Amino acid sequence: MLKTATTVAGLCLVAGLAQAADRWDGADELAVNPLGCEAGATATVTPKPYDGGAPTGAKDLAGKEITLVDVPKLIGIGYFAATTQGMQEAAKELGNVNVKTDGPTEANIDDQITFLDNFITQGVDGLLFAANDPVAIAPVLKKALGQGIHVVGYDANSQPDAREWFVNQAEFNGIGKSMVDAMAAEIGEDGSFAIVTSTFTTPNQARWIAEMQAYAEKCHPNMKWLETVEAQEDNILSFNQATTLLNKYGDELKGLFGMTSVATPASAEAVTQAQLCGKVAVVGLATPNAMKPYVAADCVKSVVLWNPVDLGYAAVQVMRAVADGKLQAGATEVEAGRLGKLPIVNGSEVLLGAPFIYSKSNIDQFDF
Amino acid sequence: MATLDAAAKKQGKGWQPALLRHEVLLAVILVIALIFLAAQTDKFLTTGNLLNQGRLMAEVGLVALPMTLIIVTGGIDLSVGSILGLCAIVLGYSWKNLGVPLPLAMVMALGVGTLAGFANGWFITRVRVPPLIMTLATLAFYRGLAEGISQARSVRGYPDWFFQLGQGDVWGVPTQLWILAVAVVITAVILARTPFGRGLYAIGHNEVGARFSGIPVDRYKLIIYTFSGAMAGLAGVIFVSRVSTTRSDMGTGLELDVIAAVVLGGTSIFGGTGTMLGTVLGFIMIQLLKNGLALTGVKGDATIVVIGIVLILSILLTNFIQRRRSGNE
Repeated sequence: MLKTATTVAGLCLVAGLAQAADRWDGADELAVNPLGCEAGATATVTPKPYDGGAPTGAKDLAGKEITLVDVPKLIGIGYFAATTQGMQEAAKELGNVNVKTDGPTEANIDDQITFLDNFITQGVDGLLFAANDPVAIAPVLKKALGQGIHVVGYDANSQPDAREWFVNQAEFNGIGKSMVDAMAAEIGEDGSFAIVTSTFTTPNQARWIAEMQAYAEKCHPNMKWLETVEAQEDNILSFNQATTLLNKYGDELKGLFGMTSVATPASAEAVTQAQLCGKVAVVGLATPNAMKPYVAADCVKSVVLWNPVDLGYAAVQVMRAVADGKLQAGATEVEAGRLGKLPIVNGSEVLLGAPFIYSKSNIDQFDF
Repeated sequence: MATLDAAAKKQGKGWQPALLRHEVLLAVILVIALIFLAAQTDKFLTTGNLLNQGRLMAEVGLVALPMTLIIVTGGIDLSVGSILGLCAIVLGYSWKNLGVPLPLAMVMALGVGTLAGFANGWFITRVRVPPLIMTLATLAFYRGLAEGISQARSVRGYPDWFFQLGQGDVWGVPTQLWILAVAVVITAVILARTPFGRGLYAIGHNEVGARFSGIPVDRYKLIIYTFSGAMAGLAGVIFVSRVSTTRSDMGTGLELDVIAAVVLGGTSIFGGTGTMLGTVLGFIMIQLLKNGLALTGVKGDATIVVIGIVLILSILLTNFIQRRRSGNE
């Protein structure tokens, strides 16, 4: 009895703490910054001084062979296998870079710190990382900088002063614009849509939704936002939530956004099983492999994500440029091999570009 | 009890049984591993690296001490990682969101850990829920509370003095290593030299027998589970100080690292045997193996495989020794 009582008390506490917001604040205190409505609009670069760190007493490595270690959030998943592939491609192309990927098998802040710590002790020329936590990783990265090791992040940032540069795969407002534009193209300017997300406070998802709301109000004011539902990152729950939305709104619902790589395929499955392909559009963030069947069946036309192979490729190119002294504080762009020149934004971030849209014509080229 | 003392006397007498004790073998293996790894890379056997490893293993070590007491009684505590996460969140949330002064928030975190451990012990002794089931339930429950309270937001921006605990040094040695050393000495004395410690062995050997010989079994159990929660809370505060942020997923999987260290140290999962020295050797061994292998360039996934093999070998060795010993009697 008592056990049940404590459980119930615990649940009430949890429920009491969960608050739903009518205005999406992104679960943080940052302001939204919607992009321009025209196709290909990029953020107006507001000049911001370099806010990254600098290694103390770094060796002169210009043109010399360098050894890098890449510590992603975790290893053994398709996404980071793709970034690793991109890194190897860049290393091969450059010819004077050795890069090894190693990291925890679970996205665990403590394990990741231990890995980085060991590589600092081992002595490398540069560290690449995708942080499991921006603050927790900072002390160990600062230690690396303090020993003259170059530090470049990608995919998930740390505090700016704990690394030199960060390769940003897509800005939040860029994702927001791509998602809403793709939806508007499919369901029209006056269509109604709903969103399936993880939780209202998950950092990335909440931020994306806040940007989507701001962008839709600015550029597609007649689109109607019906509802946003939580589905954790749970396959079955996502499917059930999407099915509920389809039943609840019937013909009124023209489109579903999936905000996670779980929610998007689950929403596509719900639409397929309800035999509403072509009537209800699904647009979302997802990895290509999960979406291939729905794209092949013409049930989903656009899957939004960046290209992780290019992301890994760019990270190694940026590191090489740093070691060669070609990328220094105050630069406005950096040469990144086959990707051309990449712009510098937010002081010390290298922007990979606009998000990548996977469609029937290109999705089969990717395997992750 | 009498047979126990006799067995202890038998263990102490003569060189041969002493040499065959698990701790001695483990120490020998540890030294061999140290020499081997030091020969592979000159980065391994340096004071700086070893002290740094001490810093990294302190949390597992602190939780492994009460875990040894619990496993000696034949119990288990799977909820330690979740208690660590909950205490970290209580520390961060009460300081940042409720405006509690940080020292008081640290005390609150320890208090919540103690309470969480007490709840485990209370249900195990009063409601007779098996420890495995009870702590499996609280593994989920405490983690859920941590996630609910934190709402997936992390707490950062602690004042500099707070980092002394997890990132600072005292006389050149990491602060938390001093705390760990003191805790090791105290728990080792309690287990080996007090009636309470002998009572724990007795419970592990034969709980019913212990009850009939007048040992307050339930009180002893309540004490060790409460102690386990308190130590997980302490480890949580140190962890927050070391990584300078608070997240609800802190300490995930900690229970497995801790149990692995205790079992590697020769404590039988069925209860009744085990020493603090063995546990200390156990967690030092795991930490140095992980570090040494990483420094010699072995990849992370291969390192886990090696740790697994070492665990299996250690258990085979213990079984072999026990069979030899019972054969001699």
